[in-house]
Amino acid sequence: MNSVGEACTDLKREYDQCFNRWFAEKFLKGDRSGDPCTETFRRYQRCVQKAIKEKDIPVDGVEFMGPNKDKPES
Amino acid sequence: MKIWSTEHVFSYPWETVIKAAMRKYPNPMNPNVVGVDVLDRSLDAEGRLHSHRLLSTEWGLPGIVRAILGTNHTQTYVKEHSIVDPEEKKMELCSTNITLTNLISVDERLLYRPHPDNPEVTVLTQEAIITVKGVSLSSYLEGMMARRMSANARKGWDAIEWIIQNSERENVPLCDMY
Repeated sequence: MNSVGEACTDLKREYDQCFNRWFAEKFLKGDRSGDPCTETFRRYQRCVQKAIKEKDIPVDGVEFMGPNKDKPES
Repeated sequence: MKIWSTEHVFSYPWETVIKAAMRKYPNPMNPNVVGVDVLDRSLDAEGRLHSHRLLSTEWGLPGIVRAILGTNHTQTYVKEHSIVDPEEKKMELCSTNITLTNLISVDERLLYRPHPDNPEVTVLTQEAIITVKGVSLSSYLEGMMARRMSANARKGWDAIEWIIQNSERENVPLCDMY
């Protein structure tokens, strides 16, 4: 799967591999030891945030309705 | 405004389905999803994993449709927040479109839980609220969207099954040498 920023795809794949392993082998098994992916995530994020700005993707513009949150009156 | 909901049972335990759901894209059933990025990820005080993701979808809208919609963009973007609770065995996802918001709003919620009567299988409850704005045929278009989502939901279930089956195949060793 590609990143929304084409240049970020390799960094994304590296992070995804790290995360998927941690998720399946640690998190779901109740292992609360530290997250081994913070460094790869940081590198990946720097690239993605830049791509989002360049493409003008409105990630912050929308009042996001998450679980257990009420949508504000508009 | 149109509200649509459905329920589906996967014949796999919750952990297996969740692992597949986290790696849902790419898959052959949802070719329109062309990009997925994690924007943020963290554990809360109760040990639940929160993820915020950005999905980009390419519908291949013909030029004339894009001209009518007044957009030059070929991709639409969706923001998704998910929470995985490994103690309660709940995975909840909420998503909303963040582009074309002046035309349409699609809010979707998915909840994966073990079946209350059989912990070896998993129930997915899926619901959506669709609102088409400022158009006189809005309820007709909303109905159309709901039918589209229903068809897409089926593809989504097939996608999860496909991910599970392809992962299982990878885990089978070629030679049993002990």
